[in-house]
Amino acid sequence: MGGWSGATVHDGVVYVGSKDGRVVAINSSTQSQSWNYTINAAIYTTPIVDGDLVYVGTYSGQVLALNTTARSQQDFTSLQKRYGEWEWDCPIDNAKSNAIVADLLVSDDAIYVSSSNGRVYSLGKEFGDLNWESKILDEKHGKLWTSPVIQDDTIYVSTFDGHIYALSLETGDLLDWSFKSEAGFASSPVIYGDTIFLGSFDRHLYAVKIGSDVPMWKFPQEKPAGNWFWASPIVNEGIVYAGCLDGKLYAIEAKTGEELWEFDAKNPIVSSPVLMDNLLIVTDESGTVYVFDLSVEIGDEVVPLKTISIGADVRSPFCAQDGLVYIRDENNKNNQLYVVDIEKGEVSWNFSLTKEE
Amino acid sequence: MGPGDIWNLIIGNPVLNVLIALSHLLFGEFGLAIIALTVIVRLITWPLTKRQLDSTKALQDMQPKLQELQKKYGKNQQKLQQEMMKLYKEAGVNPLGCLWPMLVQFPIWIALYQAIMKALATTPENLLNLAQRLYSWDIVNQAIPLSSRFLWLDLGRPDPYWILAIIVGGTMWLQQKMTQAPAVDPRQQSTNRMMLLMMPLMFGFLTLMFPSGLALYWAVSNIITIITQYFFTGSWGYLKFRSPFQSKPVKGK
Repeated sequence: MGGWSGATVHDGVVYVGSKDGRVVAINSSTQSQSWNYTINAAIYTTPIVDGDLVYVGTYSGQVLALNTTARSQQDFTSLQKRYGEWEWDCPIDNAKSNAIVADLLVSDDAIYVSSSNGRVYSLGKEFGDLNWESKILDEKHGKLWTSPVIQDDTIYVSTFDGHIYALSLETGDLLDWSFKSEAGFASSPVIYGDTIFLGSFDRHLYAVKIGSDVPMWKFPQEKPAGNWFWASPIVNEGIVYAGCLDGKLYAIEAKTGEELWEFDAKNPIVSSPVLMDNLLIVTDESGTVYVFDLSVEIGDEVVPLKTISIGADVRSPFCAQDGLVYIRDENNKNNQLYVVDIEKGEVSWNFSLTKEE
Repeated sequence: MGPGDIWNLIIGNPVLNVLIALSHLLFGEFGLAIIALTVIVRLITWPLTKRQLDSTKALQDMQPKLQELQKKYGKNQQKLQQEMMKLYKEAGVNPLGCLWPMLVQFPIWIALYQAIMKALATTPENLLNLAQRLYSWDIVNQAIPLSSRFLWLDLGRPDPYWILAIIVGGTMWLQQKMTQAPAVDPRQQSTNRMMLLMMPLMFGFLTLMFPSGLALYWAVSNIITIITQYFFTGSWGYLKFRSPFQSKPVKGK
């Protein structure tokens, strides 16, 4: 089955999609499974908790809402729709081409879904009813494997054919402005101020001012980087931090596109960096976690505050909370969720995501 | 460095990157890139093809002499074979020479199959894995990800309408029929007849199993073979040739 769902933490419970197609809820204080729900499809999206529901998109084209509270109290094996619409699943369409790969976007009012059929869907949060759908790409030009992002009343989507489209949040209608690049965009867009930052297959990171037809800057400015910018960058206090599949982490001035520093992890950086207080956390594909202290000035020689090797294959998004980093291992043999204690610089605990017979 | 890495370095990655670059040059059409690559492969293997065509033509020219031998030694198979080999040797013809272009194609098929599956990257993992196989050429990276649609086909999947299977089978039959020299004994005649049917049927069947991008390569390659054979030999070869055993069947003992 596969998939690279990441982990999310909410109220002391870790939610993660497993490689055998289950949503697993793990109680972090007892380090034991609270419940699991079998989907029987690959899960690429990281679960998102909102209220009592945890939302997950599947490679079989479904959006599921599972009731976290009710499931923690009772042993459910199927969706519980009978008791006050606790849970629901939403088959957007039956075709396999509608696989959901990109993380869902959950706002105050709706869930937004990018689908492999080139459409963006807006669903009601309570029952999954369709608010609108918007056709962004035709069948020939492909799939939407990047997540949308919202600013004000507009939703922005990046595409594999090199566009950024702006849609009305209310109706899904395409707005006048769009941006076209020569190469496809590999990463989901990130908005900081009035600028969109995103990675491309042409080995550049783009900064695009909303409303402009030309990029504000492309990084690197001279020759391309060593590989694609697959992961979405993060922006903090005017600095863009972008991991690249060439194994480097780049810190770039958001306004000018000037490189401030770079760090060579020597292995591809597939997952987006994460911020926890003043700490910037980066993992590479070989399972090394690098921690940078952003409260001190980073000079010419970039040395991580901590380097922790967990020996896992890391391609999934990871999250960090209260000094702990939650990382899912992609290795089929290990199939673990690792919880790394940054202060101690070691794995605090781990949980097997292989289903017990 | 393992054998897999060496294969990728020498054959796999070059085929993959050339295919993607061609796709970018040919309006983003991966199907056109496969057709162009087929033409390039056929140009590279032209010396071998020419040898095969020379053999075919020489065998064609020798037919009257071979039939004479058949009449003369028809009842003594051993003697017939000896005399035939002598004749082949005198004419400098190797009847198995036409197998080489076929054998050379096998690694190309394997590389192409791998390249098609990798380039189309139908799953998210495949797309991510592709990053480590690409050259730093702008033309390659700007073409990613590729569209698998071409005409009615999804090049990463078999043709559900069987049209490509019929084209591959039909062109393979025609190509074989043009080059298959008539048999000199009834046993060989029956083997030939079976081969003439089996190969097109087998490739037709494979077309239903493999991605249609690979089948497109077979179809175009067969068509190129038919055209070059026609112009090189100046005729349809053995297409209209009737075996002596068809008109005068030899009675069994």
